[in-house]
Amino acid sequence: MDIKTKLKTIIVEELNFEDLTPAEILNDVPLFGDGLGLDSLDAVELVVQIQKHFGVKIKNMEEGRTAFQSVNALAAFIAERLPE
Amino acid sequence: MKNDARTRSARRLKRWTSRSIGSQFQHRIFYALIRAGGIHLAYPLLYAVVFYYMTCRPSIRQKTAFYLEKRFPQKSAAQRFADSYRISMTLGKVLIERAKAGIRGPETLKLSFPAKARLFGLLEENRGLILMNAHVGGWQVILPALPSLGRPVKMLIERDAQDVDLHYYEHARRPRPFAAIDPKGFLGGSLEMMDALERGEILCVMGDRVFGSDKNVIHVPFLGKRAVFPFSAFKIASVSGAPVAVFFSHRIGPNRYGIEIPDVIRVPAGLGRSPRAFGPYVHRFVAALDAYTREHPYQFFNFYDMWTES
Repeated sequence: MDIKTKLKTIIVEELNFEDLTPAEILNDVPLFGDGLGLDSLDAVELVVQIQKHFGVKIKNMEEGRTAFQSVNALAAFIAERLPE
Repeated sequence: MKNDARTRSARRLKRWTSRSIGSQFQHRIFYALIRAGGIHLAYPLLYAVVFYYMTCRPSIRQKTAFYLEKRFPQKSAAQRFADSYRISMTLGKVLIERAKAGIRGPETLKLSFPAKARLFGLLEENRGLILMNAHVGGWQVILPALPSLGRPVKMLIERDAQDVDLHYYEHARRPRPFAAIDPKGFLGGSLEMMDALERGEILCVMGDRVFGSDKNVIHVPFLGKRAVFPFSAFKIASVSGAPVAVFFSHRIGPNRYGIEIPDVIRVPAGLGRSPRAFGPYVHRFVAALDAYTREHPYQFFNFYDMWTES
Protein backbone atom coordinates (compact mmCIF):
# COMPACT_ATOMS: atom_id res chain seq x y z
CA MET A 1 0.00 0.00 0.00
CA ASP A 2 1.45 3.42 -0.94
CA ILE A 3 1.73 6.25 1.58
CA LYS A 4 -1.30 8.18 0.29
CA THR A 5 -3.62 5.16 0.39
CA LYS A 6 -2.38 4.22 3.83
CA LEU A 7 -2.93 7.78 5.04
CA LYS A 8 -6.50 7.81 3.74
CA THR A 9 -7.18 4.49 5.47
CA ILE A 10 -5.78 5.88 8.73
CA ILE A 11 -7.98 8.99 8.45
CA VAL A 12 -11.12 6.93 7.89
CA GLU A 13 -10.44 4.10 10.33
CA GLU A 14 -8.46 5.67 13.16
CA LEU A 15 -10.27 9.01 13.16
CA ASN A 16 -13.64 7.25 12.90
CA PHE A 17 -14.99 8.85 9.73
CA GLU A 18 -17.92 6.49 9.39
CA ASP A 19 -19.53 8.28 6.45
CA LEU A 20 -16.42 8.38 4.29
CA THR A 21 -14.35 5.79 2.40
CA PRO A 22 -10.61 6.15 1.70
CA ALA A 23 -11.32 6.37 -2.03
CA GLU A 24 -13.52 9.42 -1.52
CA ILE A 25 -10.68 11.48 -0.03
CA LEU A 26 -9.06 13.55 -2.75
CA ASN A 27 -5.30 14.01 -2.71
CA ASP A 28 -5.31 17.80 -2.96
CA VAL A 29 -8.23 18.68 -0.67
CA PRO A 30 -7.25 20.64 2.50
CA LEU A 31 -7.37 18.30 5.49
CA PHE A 32 -8.55 20.96 7.96
CA GLY A 33 -11.25 23.61 7.94
CA ASP A 34 -13.43 23.77 4.85
CA GLY A 35 -11.79 20.81 3.14
CA LEU A 36 -12.06 17.43 4.79
CA GLY A 37 -13.17 19.16 7.99
CA LEU A 38 -10.62 17.76 10.44
CA ASP A 39 -10.08 19.80 13.62
CA SER A 40 -7.31 20.32 16.15
CA LEU A 41 -8.16 17.15 18.07
CA ASP A 42 -8.13 15.09 14.87
CA ALA A 43 -4.64 16.52 14.33
CA VAL A 44 -3.59 15.14 17.72
CA GLU A 45 -4.84 11.68 16.77
CA LEU A 46 -3.30 11.93 13.30
CA VAL A 47 0.11 12.89 14.72
CA VAL A 48 0.09 9.77 16.91
CA GLN A 49 -1.07 7.49 14.10
CA ILE A 50 1.57 8.84 11.69
CA GLN A 51 4.23 8.19 14.27
CA LYS A 52 2.87 4.71 14.92
CA HIS A 53 2.50 3.66 11.27
CA PHE A 54 5.43 5.52 9.65
CA GLY A 55 7.80 6.35 12.52
CA VAL A 56 7.64 10.03 11.53
CA LYS A 57 6.96 12.79 14.06
CA ILE A 58 5.22 16.11 13.44
CA LYS A 59 6.22 18.10 16.47
CA ASN A 60 5.35 21.75 16.04
CA MET A 61 3.25 24.37 14.33
CA GLU A 62 5.73 25.00 11.49
CA GLU A 63 5.95 21.33 10.54
CA GLY A 64 2.21 20.91 10.96
CA ARG A 65 1.43 23.84 8.66
CA THR A 66 3.49 22.23 5.90
CA ALA A 67 2.40 18.66 6.42
CA PHE A 68 -1.32 19.10 7.06
CA GLN A 69 -2.18 20.99 3.88
CA SER A 70 -3.48 17.92 2.04
CA VAL A 71 -2.93 14.19 1.59
CA ASN A 72 -0.35 15.06 -1.09
CA ALA A 73 1.56 17.36 1.28
CA LEU A 74 1.38 14.91 4.17
CA ALA A 75 2.58 12.02 2.04
CA ALA A 76 5.51 14.11 0.77
CA PHE A 77 6.38 15.14 4.35
CA ILE A 78 6.37 11.50 5.46
CA ALA A 79 8.31 10.25 2.42
CA GLU A 80 11.13 12.74 3.12
CA ARG A 81 11.46 11.57 6.72
CA LEU A 82 10.81 7.83 6.52
CA PRO A 83 13.38 5.97 8.60
CA GLU A 84 15.89 3.99 6.51
CA MET B 1 -31.39 50.84 18.51
CA LYS B 2 -31.47 50.71 22.32
CA ASN B 3 -32.21 46.99 22.18
CA ASP B 4 -29.22 46.42 19.87
CA ALA B 5 -26.95 48.21 22.34
CA ARG B 6 -28.37 46.16 25.19
CA THR B 7 -27.83 42.92 23.28
CA ARG B 8 -24.25 43.91 22.47
CA SER B 9 -23.64 44.76 26.11
CA ALA B 10 -25.11 41.44 27.27
CA ARG B 11 -22.94 39.56 24.77
CA ARG B 12 -19.85 41.36 26.03
CA LEU B 13 -20.65 40.28 29.58
CA LYS B 14 -21.21 36.67 28.59
CA ARG B 15 -18.01 36.50 26.59
CA TRP B 16 -14.82 35.89 28.44
CA THR B 17 -11.90 38.30 28.12
CA SER B 18 -8.62 38.62 29.99
CA ARG B 19 -8.86 42.43 29.66
CA SER B 20 -7.92 44.11 32.96
CA ILE B 21 -10.29 46.18 35.03
CA GLY B 22 -8.72 49.59 35.51
CA SER B 23 -5.96 51.34 33.62
CA GLN B 24 -2.24 50.74 33.70
CA PHE B 25 -1.90 53.93 35.78
CA GLN B 26 -4.33 52.63 38.39
CA HIS B 27 -2.46 49.34 38.61
CA ARG B 28 0.79 51.26 39.10
CA ILE B 29 -0.65 53.07 42.11
CA PHE B 30 -1.18 49.69 43.76
CA TYR B 31 2.34 48.56 42.81
CA ALA B 32 3.78 51.78 44.32
CA LEU B 33 1.88 51.22 47.57
CA ILE B 34 3.13 47.63 47.77
CA ARG B 35 6.69 48.83 47.22
CA ALA B 36 6.30 51.49 49.90
CA GLY B 37 4.57 49.51 52.61
CA GLY B 38 3.60 46.03 51.49
CA ILE B 39 0.13 44.60 51.13
CA HIS B 40 -1.26 46.32 54.22
CA LEU B 41 -0.82 49.70 52.57
CA ALA B 42 -2.53 48.48 49.39
CA TYR B 43 -5.54 46.83 51.06
CA PRO B 44 -7.28 50.08 52.22
CA LEU B 45 -7.23 51.42 48.67
CA LEU B 46 -8.52 48.07 47.46
CA TYR B 47 -11.57 48.34 49.76
CA ALA B 48 -12.39 51.74 48.29
CA VAL B 49 -11.80 50.69 44.68
CA VAL B 50 -13.94 47.55 45.00
CA PHE B 51 -16.71 49.56 46.68
CA TYR B 52 -16.62 52.02 43.77
CA TYR B 53 -16.90 49.24 41.18
CA MET B 54 -19.68 47.51 43.12
CA THR B 55 -21.80 50.65 43.43
CA CYS B 56 -21.02 52.56 40.23
CA ARG B 57 -20.29 49.81 37.70
CA PRO B 58 -23.17 47.32 37.70
CA SER B 59 -21.55 45.39 34.83
CA ILE B 60 -18.78 44.31 37.21
CA ARG B 61 -21.35 43.13 39.73
CA GLN B 62 -23.18 41.28 36.97
CA LYS B 63 -20.02 39.35 36.12
CA THR B 64 -19.98 37.81 39.59
CA ALA B 65 -23.75 37.24 39.50
CA PHE B 66 -23.54 34.49 36.87
CA TYR B 67 -21.85 32.29 39.48
CA LEU B 68 -23.43 33.61 42.67
CA GLU B 69 -27.00 33.12 41.37
CA LYS B 70 -26.25 29.41 40.89
CA ARG B 71 -24.19 28.92 44.02
CA PHE B 72 -26.61 30.76 46.33
CA PRO B 73 -29.98 30.76 44.53
CA GLN B 74 -31.91 31.41 47.74
CA LYS B 75 -30.18 34.67 48.64
CA SER B 76 -31.78 38.11 48.43
CA ALA B 77 -30.52 40.96 46.24
CA ALA B 78 -28.90 42.63 49.27
CA GLN B 79 -27.13 39.43 50.29
CA ARG B 80 -25.99 38.95 46.69
CA PHE B 81 -24.56 42.47 46.67
CA ALA B 82 -22.58 41.60 49.81
CA ASP B 83 -21.41 38.33 48.24
CA SER B 84 -20.37 40.12 45.07
CA TYR B 85 -18.37 42.58 47.17
CA ARG B 86 -16.77 39.73 49.11
CA ILE B 87 -15.77 37.73 46.04
CA SER B 88 -14.37 40.85 44.32
CA MET B 89 -12.39 41.76 47.45
CA THR B 90 -10.92 38.26 47.63
CA LEU B 91 -9.83 38.46 44.00
CA GLY B 92 -8.37 41.91 44.65
CA LYS B 93 -6.33 40.56 47.56
CA VAL B 94 -5.09 37.66 45.42
CA LEU B 95 -3.93 40.13 42.75
CA ILE B 96 -2.23 42.35 45.33
CA GLU B 97 -0.42 39.34 46.80
CA ARG B 98 0.62 38.25 43.34
CA ALA B 99 2.08 41.71 42.74
CA LYS B 100 3.86 41.53 46.10
CA ALA B 101 5.39 38.18 45.10
CA GLY B 102 6.68 39.91 41.98
CA ILE B 103 7.95 43.06 43.67
CA ARG B 104 9.38 41.59 46.88
CA GLY B 105 10.12 38.08 45.61
CA PRO B 106 8.09 34.84 45.46
CA GLU B 107 9.75 33.66 48.69
CA THR B 108 7.37 36.04 50.53
CA LEU B 109 4.54 33.59 49.72
CA LYS B 110 3.76 30.66 51.96
CA LEU B 111 2.60 27.80 49.73
CA SER B 112 1.30 24.62 51.28
CA PHE B 113 1.64 21.83 48.73
CA PRO B 114 1.18 18.47 50.50
CA ALA B 115 0.15 16.72 47.25
CA LYS B 116 3.50 17.39 45.62
CA ALA B 117 4.73 13.84 46.30
CA ARG B 118 1.71 12.49 44.42
CA LEU B 119 2.66 14.60 41.39
CA PHE B 120 6.24 13.31 41.51
CA GLY B 121 4.81 9.79 41.37
CA LEU B 122 2.77 10.68 38.27
CA LEU B 123 5.78 12.29 36.60
CA GLU B 124 7.83 9.14 37.13
CA GLU B 125 5.48 7.34 34.73
CA ASN B 126 7.15 9.41 31.96
CA ARG B 127 3.96 10.00 30.01
CA GLY B 128 3.89 13.70 30.73
CA LEU B 129 1.42 15.26 33.13
CA ILE B 130 -1.58 17.48 32.51
CA LEU B 131 -2.30 19.87 35.39
CA MET B 132 -5.91 20.92 35.00
CA ASN B 133 -6.46 24.18 36.77
CA ALA B 134 -9.49 26.46 37.07
CA HIS B 135 -10.04 30.14 37.75
CA VAL B 136 -10.21 29.61 41.47
CA GLY B 137 -8.16 30.61 44.51
CA GLY B 138 -4.67 31.78 43.67
CA TRP B 139 -4.19 30.16 40.28
CA GLN B 140 -1.85 32.99 39.27
CA VAL B 141 -0.13 33.30 42.66
CA ILE B 142 0.98 29.68 42.87
CA LEU B 143 3.01 29.79 39.64
CA PRO B 144 6.28 29.97 41.64
CA ALA B 145 5.52 26.41 42.83
CA LEU B 146 5.80 24.97 39.32
CA PRO B 147 9.62 24.88 38.99
CA SER B 148 9.80 22.78 42.17
CA LEU B 149 8.25 19.90 40.18
CA GLY B 150 11.55 19.55 38.35
CA ARG B 151 10.20 19.30 34.79
CA PRO B 152 9.72 21.93 32.07
CA VAL B 153 6.23 23.40 32.17
CA LYS B 154 4.14 24.42 29.15
CA MET B 155 0.99 26.46 29.67
CA LEU B 156 -1.91 27.04 27.33
CA ILE B 157 -2.46 30.74 27.88
CA GLU B 158 -4.36 33.45 26.07
CA ARG B 159 -3.67 37.07 26.88
CA ASP B 160 -5.69 40.07 25.83
CA ALA B 161 -3.69 43.05 24.51
CA GLN B 162 -5.57 45.17 27.06
CA ASP B 163 -4.55 42.97 29.97
CA VAL B 164 -2.26 45.42 31.79
CA ASP B 165 -2.05 43.52 35.05
CA LEU B 166 1.40 42.01 35.49
CA HIS B 167 2.20 38.41 36.34
CA TYR B 168 4.56 38.06 39.30
CA TYR B 169 7.58 37.28 37.10
CA GLU B 170 7.00 40.41 35.00
CA HIS B 171 7.61 42.82 37.90
CA ALA B 172 11.33 42.22 38.28
CA ARG B 173 11.98 40.54 34.90
CA ARG B 174 12.29 37.16 36.54
CA PRO B 175 12.41 34.10 34.30
CA ARG B 176 8.94 32.93 33.43
CA PRO B 177 8.30 29.58 35.17
CA PHE B 178 6.63 28.16 32.07
CA ALA B 179 6.68 28.34 28.27
CA ALA B 180 3.44 29.60 26.77
CA ILE B 181 1.43 27.81 24.11
CA ASP B 182 -0.96 30.09 22.25
CA PRO B 183 -4.44 28.57 21.87
CA LYS B 184 -4.98 30.92 18.91
CA GLY B 185 -2.02 29.32 17.13
CA PHE B 186 -2.18 26.72 14.37
CA LEU B 187 -4.54 23.88 15.38
CA GLY B 188 -4.98 25.47 18.78
CA GLY B 189 -1.44 24.62 19.86
CA SER B 190 -2.34 20.92 19.94
CA LEU B 191 0.92 19.81 18.27
CA GLU B 192 3.03 21.66 20.84
CA MET B 193 0.96 20.19 23.67
CA MET B 194 1.46 16.65 22.37
CA ASP B 195 5.16 17.24 21.87
CA ALA B 196 5.59 18.48 25.46
CA LEU B 197 3.79 15.47 26.92
CA GLU B 198 5.77 13.06 24.81
CA ARG B 199 8.93 14.53 26.33
CA GLY B 200 7.56 13.88 29.82
CA GLU B 201 6.89 17.56 30.51
CA ILE B 202 4.06 19.24 32.40
CA LEU B 203 1.18 20.82 30.52
CA CYS B 204 -1.03 23.32 32.37
CA VAL B 205 -4.52 23.92 31.04
CA MET B 206 -7.65 25.57 32.38
CA GLY B 207 -10.50 23.09 32.60
CA ASP B 208 -13.21 25.72 33.06
CA ARG B 209 -12.56 28.01 30.10
CA VAL B 210 -13.27 27.63 26.42
CA PHE B 211 -10.61 29.35 24.37
CA GLY B 212 -11.46 31.30 21.22
CA SER B 213 -13.57 29.36 18.76
CA ASP B 214 -12.86 25.94 20.27
CA LYS B 215 -15.82 23.79 19.31
CA ASN B 216 -14.66 20.86 21.40
CA VAL B 217 -17.05 21.47 24.27
CA ILE B 218 -19.75 19.61 26.07
CA HIS B 219 -22.48 20.71 28.44
CA VAL B 220 -22.35 19.31 31.95
CA PRO B 221 -24.44 20.16 35.02
CA PHE B 222 -22.53 22.52 37.28
CA LEU B 223 -24.14 24.04 40.38
CA GLY B 224 -27.50 22.77 39.22
CA LYS B 225 -27.52 24.07 35.64
CA ARG B 226 -25.91 22.97 32.39
CA ALA B 227 -22.64 24.76 31.78
CA VAL B 228 -20.14 24.60 28.95
CA PHE B 229 -16.74 22.93 29.47
CA PRO B 230 -13.93 22.08 27.06
CA PHE B 231 -12.91 18.45 26.58
CA SER B 232 -9.81 18.93 24.38
CA ALA B 233 -7.38 18.23 27.22
CA PHE B 234 -9.07 14.89 27.89
CA LYS B 235 -8.71 13.94 24.23
CA ILE B 236 -5.01 14.84 24.43
CA ALA B 237 -4.74 12.74 27.60
CA SER B 238 -6.40 9.82 25.81
CA VAL B 239 -4.03 9.98 22.86
CA SER B 240 -0.85 10.67 24.84
CA GLY B 241 -1.55 8.47 27.88
CA ALA B 242 -0.76 11.39 30.20
CA PRO B 243 -2.66 11.46 33.50
CA VAL B 244 -4.77 14.53 34.27
CA ALA B 245 -4.25 15.91 37.77
CA VAL B 246 -6.96 18.32 38.90
CA PHE B 247 -4.89 21.15 40.35
CA PHE B 248 -6.68 23.69 42.52
CA SER B 249 -5.45 26.30 44.95
CA HIS B 250 -7.11 28.35 47.64
CA ARG B 251 -6.23 31.42 49.62
CA ILE B 252 -5.76 30.62 53.30
CA GLY B 253 -4.87 34.15 54.46
CA PRO B 254 -2.57 37.05 53.58
CA ASN B 255 0.23 35.63 51.38
CA ARG B 256 -0.76 32.07 52.30
CA TYR B 257 -2.09 29.60 49.75
CA GLY B 258 -2.85 25.90 49.68
CA ILE B 259 -2.47 23.70 46.60
CA GLU B 260 -4.54 20.54 46.34
CA ILE B 261 -4.99 17.63 43.92
CA PRO B 262 -8.59 16.52 44.48
CA ASP B 263 -8.56 13.96 41.65
CA VAL B 264 -6.28 12.28 39.13
CA ILE B 265 -8.15 11.33 35.98
CA ARG B 266 -6.88 8.68 33.58
CA VAL B 267 -8.46 8.65 30.14
CA PRO B 268 -8.23 5.41 28.13
CA ALA B 269 -7.06 5.36 24.51
CA GLY B 270 -9.33 4.84 21.51
CA LEU B 271 -12.32 6.94 22.56
CA GLY B 272 -12.89 8.22 19.02
CA ARG B 273 -14.30 11.57 17.90
CA SER B 274 -17.59 11.76 19.77
CA PRO B 275 -17.67 14.46 22.48
CA ARG B 276 -19.95 12.16 24.47
CA ALA B 277 -17.07 9.71 24.96
CA PHE B 278 -15.24 12.35 27.00
CA GLY B 279 -18.28 13.24 29.11
CA PRO B 280 -17.43 11.01 32.10
CA TYR B 281 -13.99 12.63 32.46
CA VAL B 282 -15.32 16.18 32.17
CA HIS B 283 -17.94 15.20 34.78
CA ARG B 284 -15.18 14.19 37.20
CA PHE B 285 -13.43 17.52 36.78
CA VAL B 286 -16.71 19.39 37.25
CA ALA B 287 -17.49 17.31 40.36
CA ALA B 288 -14.15 18.42 41.84
CA LEU B 289 -14.92 22.04 40.90
CA ASP B 290 -18.39 21.76 42.43
CA ALA B 291 -16.89 20.44 45.68
CA TYR B 292 -14.35 23.28 45.62
CA THR B 293 -17.06 25.95 45.38
CA ARG B 294 -18.77 24.42 48.40
CA GLU B 295 -15.57 24.52 50.43
CA HIS B 296 -14.36 27.91 49.15
CA PRO B 297 -17.51 29.67 47.87
CA TYR B 298 -15.87 33.09 47.57
CA GLN B 299 -12.82 31.98 45.61
CA PHE B 300 -14.43 31.20 42.25
CA PHE B 301 -13.25 33.84 39.76
CA ASN B 302 -14.53 32.68 36.41
CA PHE B 303 -16.45 35.87 35.64
CA TYR B 304 -18.39 34.98 32.55
CA ASP B 305 -21.61 33.15 31.81
CA MET B 306 -20.62 29.49 31.56
CA TRP B 307 -24.31 28.65 31.86
CA THR B 308 -25.13 30.35 28.60
CA GLU B 309 -28.03 28.91 26.61
CA SER B 310 -27.00 25.56 25.18
